Amino acid sequence: MILEQLAGNLIQGLVLGAVYGMATMGLSLIFGVLKVVNVGHGAFIMVGAFVTLWLFNTLGINPILAVPVAFAIGMGLGFIFYYTTMQRLIKAPELATLLATFSLGILLEELIKLIFGSEFRGYNWVVGKINIGVTVFPMAKLYACIGSALIAVLLYLWFNKTRAGSAVRSVVEDSEGARVCGINVGGAYALSFSLGIGLTVASGVLLTMFIPVGINPYMGGGYTLKAFVIAVLGGLSSPYGAFFGGLVFGLIENGSYTIFALLPGVEPFALTRFLSFVILLAILLIKPTGILSRK
Amino acid sequence: MALLRLENVTKRFGGLVAVDKVNLEIQPGELIGIVGPNGSGKTTLFNVISGVYPPEEGKVTFDGKDITQFPPYKRAPLGLGRTFQIPRPFSSASVRENVAIGAMFGTLAGHVNVDDSLEIADRYIKLVGLEAHKDKEAGGLTPVEKKMVEIARALAMKPKLLLMDEAMAGMNPKDIDNMVQFIKRIKEEEEIAIVSMVEHIMRAVVGLAERVMVMNFGAKLVDAKTEEALTDPRVIEVYLGHPPDEKKWKSEVWKEGKDSDG
Amino acid sequence: MKNKITKYYPLIPLLAAYLLLLLIGKNISGMWQLVAMLIFYCAMGQAFNIFLGMTGYVDFGYVAFMGVGTYGMALAITHLSHIKGLGILIIIIGFALAIVMSTLLSMAVGAVALRLRGAYFAIATIGVNEGFRFLIEGARIWNGSEGLIFTAQLNQILGRETASSLMTFWADIIVLIIAVLAAFVTLYYMKSKIGYALTALREDEDAAKVMGINVTKYKIIAFITSACFAGLVGATSWALKTPYVFPPEVFEIHYTIEAIIIVLLGGAGTLLGPVVGGLIYGISKYYLAIFMPGFQLLIFAPVIIIIIVLFPEGVVGMLKRRVKGSALAKFII
Repeated sequence: MILEQLAGNLIQGLVLGAVYGMATMGLSLIFGVLKVVNVGHGAFIMVGAFVTLWLFNTLGINPILAVPVAFAIGMGLGFIFYYTTMQRLIKAPELATLLATFSLGILLEELIKLIFGSEFRGYNWVVGKINIGVTVFPMAKLYACIGSALIAVLLYLWFNKTRAGSAVRSVVEDSEGARVCGINVGGAYALSFSLGIGLTVASGVLLTMFIPVGINPYMGGGYTLKAFVIAVLGGLSSPYGAFFGGLVFGLIENGSYTIFALLPGVEPFALTRFLSFVILLAILLIKPTGILSRK
Repeated sequence: MALLRLENVTKRFGGLVAVDKVNLEIQPGELIGIVGPNGSGKTTLFNVISGVYPPEEGKVTFDGKDITQFPPYKRAPLGLGRTFQIPRPFSSASVRENVAIGAMFGTLAGHVNVDDSLEIADRYIKLVGLEAHKDKEAGGLTPVEKKMVEIARALAMKPKLLLMDEAMAGMNPKDIDNMVQFIKRIKEEEEIAIVSMVEHIMRAVVGLAERVMVMNFGAKLVDAKTEEALTDPRVIEVYLGHPPDEKKWKSEVWKEGKDSDG
Repeated sequence: MKNKITKYYPLIPLLAAYLLLLLIGKNISGMWQLVAMLIFYCAMGQAFNIFLGMTGYVDFGYVAFMGVGTYGMALAITHLSHIKGLGILIIIIGFALAIVMSTLLSMAVGAVALRLRGAYFAIATIGVNEGFRFLIEGARIWNGSEGLIFTAQLNQILGRETASSLMTFWADIIVLIIAVLAAFVTLYYMKSKIGYALTALREDEDAAKVMGINVTKYKIIAFITSACFAGLVGATSWALKTPYVFPPEVFEIHYTIEAIIIVLLGGAGTLLGPVVGGLIYGISKYYLAIFMPGFQLLIFAPVIIIIIVLFPEGVVGMLKRRVKGSALAKFII
């Protein structure tokens, strides 16, 4: 009985972790290529959530179809922001890009608040549950997990099988060398940045499939911290590392919540969030390049 | 006692051996040159000496102290100064403030206050001829002026040994000659040892250095008095890719170098 | 001797501005609320500037120090109010406790974060405020998520009348004093070896190390100083003006955002920047709240981006350039 519960817990953690991981891939991609930390990361996830909300509640479009729409919107936002702002900050001190992405996140939060208001919203996508032996799963969550894994695979294929992807990889290795080879480095940066944002916004859709309630303009903040923990776990520059880091994080988060819930005199939800912060500091202390990376 | 001693210093980056069992000794007041083609490990060697990263093997001793594992900031107060190939002044600070920083944290650290440091700075600014610019922001100077700020700043540290990284890169022959005279002058006046690293400006090396170490593929190829080192057939082969016509080399290149001396 | 005095000239415009504020606040009816808010923003900005401005590092978890300071004062009042005869000493103990707690927290965070470079530092600090809040709520320390309410204790310590005048007037004066102190310390640092080291490490950390500067040591000095002043601001502006503290309120990232706006707008790393930034931001927010409440971030977020891209030096930074070489240069830094 306990073993079943444990196994069920484990699977829950992994499934959630896959979604978390996918949500972090954009962050790692942007840092890996441009060496920029997108401090406004959570806000983009929130945008994806609202896209899903609006498409579902207003147009009746189911979340699975919302994913490519959100991705496209994200890429658009990314291109706009890259060419108006980020491009000019390449030579600026690190401080500048940190604050720029941070402010962009705030701007998005305020814009969404302006358009949609600040109440907590949700949607109700009824697709039934599935019994996988040890536990019963809402289908929506399963879709989210599968979607995340699929996107991770697509990204891998893009990086390794397409010309654009190879170009980006060479820019990461040696931007000067790539330039000399005739690769449009600026374009590679723009593409990577936009791709990263696109991935992040799309992940917002998948996250709402997991948690279709509590959607509000300020929901991103909590995810930013989680994303950083995951990114650092997986090695800040590697999107794949981020995915696996997400799996690990999902397990830890679920596991710790279960344990904390058993302890008297504590609030398990709050303590779990405190734990993720401690993990972040611990990793940064021991191996900032990421526990799962090879550097 | 040697001022700086490197014993079997080896630095690896993954599988690449950038510095290969280098042994070197520098006496106080010496003026030596380190030369070698691109990729021969000179910059890495400099970085190991100034503490940017520790070597995988070997020992670095300065003024009797084992500084192999010392972080860079601990080496400066001992008397180890450095200038960079591409000058790195603190852009938003004035020339005066830049040079004063050298005085504040170099060998005089703890013995001088801010006002003393500014006075010392004035002296060195005069020495390098930048008096007219002393209150200007360092970021707005020409590359040559920035180089002089670097040198003044390094001198204000009152070092015992100054590592000069490609100090003459990008200069025309006249400027190089001036710089050579200048460096010789500061060596005498400040009583410091200077290690000048140059890639291929033979004019400078010949005019400046008493002794030359030639590096190739991270290892020391030759370490001898300047004339000997530069006319060594192995060295010439490294630069030309084939064994030289010794007589031709001696007469042409050697003559050009001698011209710049005085 | 003359040199020593001219060093402190830049404080003159600063003090003049504050004096003007005080006069306006006291003599024009209804203005005190705005003046109090402006003083708060200037103080918060001045404290934040000591770290952001002088090192160039962004501490995204900055508000945590203000929150911790608030708790310091709250705890002093809550736990000592029953001891008769201590009176105002409890408030002083509250300040001391705020400083101690801010120092401890900044040392703990700094031990990890300050070893890291730019981007990693930002990542490390972004969760500090949340993390600490969830520690308090999760482990249910200091009354957990219920927070502390100590109006009654404050009345008990000081007597109703004094407590009331503290909350509505004297606390603001104390915040003003804190702002001036922070400015004083900023100026002192700027003119001393510390300032030179910080400028060097801000411009080029690796070159600074080669010059003999122990960058970590100076980062820590700036970090702890900034944290302590933040703690004092929290202890006064939050605990003493509104005698209650709830974790979600005092650890809100919102305040860090405002601090960033204020410092960047005014000019990071300048002495007068936080005052100018605090005034501009505070006045804008106050009047925006009348016509378009809740809009100030929507307007200021793109403003920050524009500043970063086009005017990274801020108002005072640009002013400095204009007055360079003139007599005014001594006053505007």
